[in-house]
Amino acid sequence: MDNPLSQNPDSTWGRFFRNAELEKMVDQDLSRLYPEHGSYFQTPGCQGMLRRILLLWCLGHPECGYRQGMHELLAPLLYVLHVDVERLSEVRKLYEDHFIDKFDGLSFEENDVTYNFDFKKFLDSMEDEIGSHSNSKKVKSLDELDPEIQTIVLLSDAYGAEGELGIVLSEKFMEHDAYCMFDALMSGAHGAVAMADFFSPSPAAESHSSLPPIIEASAALYHLLSIVDSSLHSHLVELGVEPQYFALRWLRVLFGREFSLQDLLVIWDEIFTADNSQLHRDSEDDESSSFKILNSHRGALISAVAVSMILYLRSSLLATENATSCLQRLLNFPENINLKKIIVKAKSLQILALDSNVSSLSSTFGGAYNCSKSAVVRGHSLSSDSVSPKTPLSLVPDSYWEEKWRVLHKEEELRQNSVGKQTPSGKKRWSEKVKLSLSRTESDPSPARAENCKKGHRSSIRRSLLEDLSRQLGLEEDAEKGGCLGASNSEDDHCIEVLVEGDNCTNKESICAAEERCESGSGTVVSDENSSIFSEPASPGSGTNDHENDTEKSSVASNLFIDENDDHQQSNLEDSPLPVSLPPEDVSLNSLHENESSGKMVSAMKERRHLSGRFQWFWKFGRNNVGEETSDKGGTNEAAKSPNHDCKRQVIESVFQQDRCQVGSLDNFSKNILVGKGQVTAMTALKELRKISNLLSEIV
Amino acid sequence: MVLVLALGDLHIPHRAADLPPKFKSMLVPGKIQHIICTGNLCIKEVQDYLKSLCPDLHITRGEYDEETRCPETKTLTIGQFKLGLCHGHQVIPWGDLDSLAMLQRQLDVDILVTGHTHQFTAYKHEGGVVINPGSATGAYSSITYDVNPSFVLMDIDGLRVVVYVYELIDGEVKVDKIDFKKTTATTHSAH
Repeated sequence: MDNPLSQNPDSTWGRFFRNAELEKMVDQDLSRLYPEHGSYFQTPGCQGMLRRILLLWCLGHPECGYRQGMHELLAPLLYVLHVDVERLSEVRKLYEDHFIDKFDGLSFEENDVTYNFDFKKFLDSMEDEIGSHSNSKKVKSLDELDPEIQTIVLLSDAYGAEGELGIVLSEKFMEHDAYCMFDALMSGAHGAVAMADFFSPSPAAESHSSLPPIIEASAALYHLLSIVDSSLHSHLVELGVEPQYFALRWLRVLFGREFSLQDLLVIWDEIFTADNSQLHRDSEDDESSSFKILNSHRGALISAVAVSMILYLRSSLLATENATSCLQRLLNFPENINLKKIIVKAKSLQILALDSNVSSLSSTFGGAYNCSKSAVVRGHSLSSDSVSPKTPLSLVPDSYWEEKWRVLHKEEELRQNSVGKQTPSGKKRWSEKVKLSLSRTESDPSPARAENCKKGHRSSIRRSLLEDLSRQLGLEEDAEKGGCLGASNSEDDHCIEVLVEGDNCTNKESICAAEERCESGSGTVVSDENSSIFSEPASPGSGTNDHENDTEKSSVASNLFIDENDDHQQSNLEDSPLPVSLPPEDVSLNSLHENESSGKMVSAMKERRHLSGRFQWFWKFGRNNVGEETSDKGGTNEAAKSPNHDCKRQVIESVFQQDRCQVGSLDNFSKNILVGKGQVTAMTALKELRKISNLLSEIV
Repeated sequence: MVLVLALGDLHIPHRAADLPPKFKSMLVPGKIQHIICTGNLCIKEVQDYLKSLCPDLHITRGEYDEETRCPETKTLTIGQFKLGLCHGHQVIPWGDLDSLAMLQRQLDVDILVTGHTHQFTAYKHEGGVVINPGSATGAYSSITYDVNPSFVLMDIDGLRVVVYVYELIDGEVKVDKIDFKKTTATTHSAH
């Protein structure tokens, strides 16, 4: 028997109590909705409408129930409707005489079209009109009216009390419209991305991973980020910042909490104009591992917006040392932002996102490394199915990498002319094929340029060095940027070093490619070289001295300055650091030591070798100490220290500057070269450099 | 949809240790808006427990109650109904309908709730309802040992009250329902 205290969950009383709970939750949320726009949102009319819509929808979808955040999806929709209606009535009032109430030669078909209006799209366009209000003015004829108002007036021309526009924008039906819009948004309207999924705690029925959709979507974000900016991605992963910590809020409310209402509406315009229909993947694709969210243009755009937001905060994120501060920055998105920039970037990332989802990923969502690795491979070879998704990169044949290198090189050549353009890291270069204009934040270095500076190609470098000696001393201002580049150059050198030592890779062709690249990039190389000198002195303080490395370095140095020993160069150029120098590095690093120590070694080596190389160059021109080339590194360092205090100071300053101003150049340079696995080495390199600069500061 | 719980004659701790577990599991906070208690709880702890179920608690004094400050009778208005509360040992003969009706007229209430007999009864009488929720713990009464634990839940909705009776018979909770409709609306008088 149905009684109020019935324990039966299906009883009417049970439902009554559950509904009462629901109402309570909804009321609680609504009372706290948009207090800064309380003049509209806290009015009883608006609150009542929101309450009814939410309750009705939740009762109609008992499997979803009500979750906090749904109200924040609904509120802007209602707001837009309200504003539109208000605007229409405003215009009506001002220009009453123009609103004629009879047919104005419009054919029936046109009228019918309005009945099939897609509310969302129309309202988006209306919103653009409303976005720029015009002052009211006395007008005699329709033509004098502002074009927006003209549109409004013309659209209203029809018979019927409210006119055509009135059918779409009607005060009476605001609630109904809002409900429909909300329902479409939540259920996805037969598209791929349904917001309701993001609120459900259980995995979706047809999801391939056994994760709740929001976790999957967050993983998709990180996946995209790893393609676009792998070092930031690895930095975040290293700190232990799981994507869902911030992505949960971002995605569930479609960034409602990150932007102000007006900005949010702009972003939503972009998102909602993107088509939400399910993109059909080829059946050959591994169905078990594509991201659901990326299955439509809209989903891809949403992920792209999120990633572009992360990239917007790039410099501050890279500067954080622990997960808490990282999350703090992510969750407190700055107020005054260049929204256009974010949107433009998002649009470019959207294409990438769609492409990245074409090829499937490894099913290990936790394995960011694997994902990024395979993603890179996929990102580049969009049409190649030869490599299965789960193949670890180390099994990829060497020729594959050569090929990639060559392709890469060709791209780079094309891009050499645009000096001013800041290109992302080498890894990104591949994806840049797809992503044409990526406007990066100021923190971006020019790793492409850095990559170009293959020290292996001594001839061209030396030539350019000689030419630009005079510029060197005056390149203070370049030090900042150049420092990182220089540092990255050092990285390159060391990479070569490592590879030489490792001698497991024999990609001569890639060497040639590198040489060609160097030639073309000589101009930039010079400035890098020059400024690299400033960063050089940073390394002498490094504690770890390795004799075998010294000899190597000195030998390279001698190459650099004394002669062009092509053979030597060749060997040095062996496997010049690939932008995604994973396998060679892996191999070589493995050959040296275990990863950690090798990383340290590598970084230390890099710095020191670079230093010795640079110092020697410097001396050659400044002091003619040619004979130092083969001297022990330590000796070089000591000797080098005293005469170069000044430039050291400059270097230190510039290094510190880089550190401080969050250009993240140190991070950048490490990022440039060391991708994925190199993250370890990146961090160690970073630490080394920091140690060095600290030591130097003590000295100076 | 106002839920009013009527119970009494628990006689804790003298004659019974606690409410039956099945009753206790049903009585959860948050569902009930008012509790009216006929009396004989007897100790303060029981009062606190009832208060935890619902903050709006009304008690009248039974002869074994240790809380001496409760009144002998109480009237309250919930919705359209006037409720009267009394322990019932004052009304002689105990449990007699006519005497209770006298009390009802005296208090001028639509629903009179009394106890003391430890037997559930509900009479429709002269446009009013006289309810005895029985003993919620099944404690023995002055008259008999054969007592089934029982209590009453009233659902007051406008001019209609649905009385649900919960009885523990042979270890099972049996629910019964009585409908009562009031003919005229009450005019609210200041109390």
